[in-house]
Amino acid sequence: MSVEKPPTKMNRRRFLKLMAGAPVSAILGSAGVAAAETQRYGMLADSIRCIGCKRCMSACKRWNNLRVERDELATDRETHLSANNWKIINLRADTKNRVKRHYVQWSCQHCIEPACVGVCPVTAIKKLSHGPVVINEKKCIGCRYCFQACPWKVPQFDFDKRVTRKCHLCYNRTLLNYQKPACVAACPVGALAFDYKHQIIQEAHRRVERLKGPSYIMGLTEAGGTDLITILPAAPKDLGLIAAPKKVINHNLDKIRVTASGILASSVIAGVMYFYAQLTKNKDKDFDDPSN
Amino acid sequence: MIPAIRQYMQSTFNAVEHSPRLVVWIGIMCAMIFVAGYALLASLLTSMEILEFSVKIPWATMIATYIFLVAIGSGLCIINALGSVFGMQRYEMLTKRMAFLSLTTIIFGMLCIVMHLGHPERMPIYNAISPNFRSAISWMGLLYSIYMGVVVIELWLLNREDLAGRAQSSAGWVKKILELLTLEKLRGTRFGAVLEDPRLPRLIALLAFVSGASALSMLGSVFAHMESRLLWYGPYYPVYFLVSAIFSGFAFLLAVTIITYRVKNDEIFPGLKAVIFEMAQALAVVLAVGFLLMIFRLAAGLLDPASRAPSMLLLNGPFRVGFWGFEVGLMTVIPIFILVWAAEAKSLNGVLTGSIMVLIGTFVMRYEFVVAGQVYPNIPQGLPSYWPMIMEVFLIGGVIAAFLLVYTLGDLFLSLKEEKSHHVT
Repeated sequence: MSVEKPPTKMNRRRFLKLMAGAPVSAILGSAGVAAAETQRYGMLADSIRCIGCKRCMSACKRWNNLRVERDELATDRETHLSANNWKIINLRADTKNRVKRHYVQWSCQHCIEPACVGVCPVTAIKKLSHGPVVINEKKCIGCRYCFQACPWKVPQFDFDKRVTRKCHLCYNRTLLNYQKPACVAACPVGALAFDYKHQIIQEAHRRVERLKGPSYIMGLTEAGGTDLITILPAAPKDLGLIAAPKKVINHNLDKIRVTASGILASSVIAGVMYFYAQLTKNKDKDFDDPSN
Repeated sequence: MIPAIRQYMQSTFNAVEHSPRLVVWIGIMCAMIFVAGYALLASLLTSMEILEFSVKIPWATMIATYIFLVAIGSGLCIINALGSVFGMQRYEMLTKRMAFLSLTTIIFGMLCIVMHLGHPERMPIYNAISPNFRSAISWMGLLYSIYMGVVVIELWLLNREDLAGRAQSSAGWVKKILELLTLEKLRGTRFGAVLEDPRLPRLIALLAFVSGASALSMLGSVFAHMESRLLWYGPYYPVYFLVSAIFSGFAFLLAVTIITYRVKNDEIFPGLKAVIFEMAQALAVVLAVGFLLMIFRLAAGLLDPASRAPSMLLLNGPFRVGFWGFEVGLMTVIPIFILVWAAEAKSLNGVLTGSIMVLIGTFVMRYEFVVAGQVYPNIPQGLPSYWPMIMEVFLIGGVIAAFLLVYTLGDLFLSLKEEKSHHVT
C-alpha cells in the first residue's frame, strides 16, 4: 500500500467480499494477522509528512457542519480541541531538538478498548465493529464523564447543544458510502491515510523505516492500542502531548478492585459501629432515667 | 373543602406569623432561590457556558457542592444506623431529624447534578433503558435511587403515628388526605399488621444503611476509577469518601441541631446534651482517622513518581492555601482540639464552632479535590484561575437556600424535635 496513490479503492463489492471472508481468515489465522484487524479500519496520521495546510480541519468542519472560529484555519495558529474542533493541527518542537518543528495532528485516537465507552452511564458511546468510536448525541446526557476517563482528554462538551462531541472517523461516510473520512480525502500530501488496520500498521512501519531519522509510532500500544496510528518525530511527551500509559485504561478488573475497597471499608465501618454500640450499651440506661 | 384548607393553613402558618425572624429568613431564602432561577433561565436561554468556569475543568463547584451535600446525607444515614440498626437507643431520639436531613441533603445534592448535566431529562430515560453496568455513575444513580426510596419509607414509618394523630384532630378534606397518607384503611388488615410490626423500622433502616453506604462508596469510585486522573485514581478514595462522609454528617447534624434549638429558643434537655457531647467526641475520633488516611494518601502519592506532581499541587502548588489552611487546619487539626475540649468542658458553643469549622473545611476540601484532580494530565503547564463563575455561585446559593427552606418548613410541619426517651425500634 502506498499513501500517495490511495491503494484500496473501497467499493461495495470489495467491502462485502472482505466482510464475508473475515470470519474464515480469522479461523485459519491468515498470516499471523489478528482477525479483528483485518475487519477493522484504521487511520494513519504522518506528522513528518504534514505541511500544516489545515485542509483536513476545514474538510472536517464542512462535512460535520462545525462552527468555524475567526483565524482558526490560518497556518501556524495554535488551536485546541473543542466541540467545534474535532481535529487540530499544531506546530510542535521536540524539547530535545528545538530546531526541528513539525505539524502534529491531534484528534480522537479511537482506542480499541475505549475508556469513554466503559464509563458512559447511558451507553451513548459505542465502539463500532469496524473501528470508529462514536457518540450518539441524541442519547448523551452531557455529564462529561467520558472527558474525565479519556487518557487524551478528547471528548469536548458543546455548551450550546449541551452534549459531548468528538471525531467519529466519518463513520457516516466510511460505513454508508464506502468513502474515506473527509480529512483523509482532503489531504494533499498523503499525510493522512485510511485503510484496514493491519495495512495501516504495515504502512506506518514502512514509512518509519524509510525515514532514517528519529521517529515514534503512537497508537500501537498506547491505551491498549488505538485505531488511529500517528507517526511523530519524537515521543509524545517530548512534543508536549499527553502521553497515555501503554496498557488498557480503565480495565474492568481494575474497576472491580477499586470498588471492592469501598465495599470492604463499608464492612469494616459496620463492624466498628457494632462494637461501639455494644461497648457503650450501658450508657443507654442513663437516658431512660426519668431524671434526665 | 376550602374552609378546611384555610383552617389548616391558618394553623400551620401561625408559627410564621408570630415570628418576624422566620418571615425574614424565609424571605431571604426565597430571594436566593429567585436569583438562582434567573441564572438557570439565563443558561437555558443563552448558553450553558455562563455556568462553567473552564472548558478544561468541566467538573467544578457544582460537582463539589454535589459531593458535599450527598456525602453529608450518606454520612447521616451511616450515623443513623448506630441507633436504628445497631441498637444504640440514645441515638434514636435524633432518628427523625437525621432521616429528614439525609433525604433532603441528597435530593438537593442531586439537584446540583441535574443543573450540571447538559440534558438531565434524558438521564432517567436512558439510565433505565440502557444502563452501563461498567460505569460507576450508572451504579451510583441506581444505588442512590434505591436509597432515597428506602429513606422515604423510613420517614413515613417514623411520622405515620404523628400524622394519624393529626388526621384524628382534623376534619374534611385534610382528614381524608392525611388518612390516605397514613394508609389508615389498612389498619387491622394483614398488611397493616406488617406495617405496624416493630421489626419493620429496623429492617428498613438496615436497608437504608446498606444502600446508603454502597451508594457513597460508589460515589468515591466514580472518581477512583479514573485511571488518567492520577490524584483521584486508586482504591483510596472510596474509603476516604466513607470516612469523610461520617465526619461531615456528624458535624452537620451537630451544627443544625444546636442552631435549630437556639433559633427556636428551645432548651436542649440534658439527655440530648449528653448525646451531643458524645457525638462531638466521636466526631473528633473520625476526624483523626480521616487525617491519618490523608497522610497515607499523600505519602503514597509522593512515593509514586507518576502521581508525585499531582500530589504536589496540594502540598506546594496553587492549592496549598486550601489544603494547609482549610483541609488540614480548619477541617482537621483545630476542630479536633476544640471538640475534645468542648466535650470535656460541656460547651455547646465549642461543639457548634468545631462543627461549623469542619463543614467549611470539608466544602473547601471537596472543591480542591474536584478541581485539583483535573489539572493533570491535560493542563500541567498552566492552571487557569479557579474562582467559580458568578452564575455558578448564584445557582449553588439557590440550591443551599432551597435546602434550608425545606428544612425550615420540615421542622415546622413534621415533628422533628427530639423527645426524652424516643425508642423507635
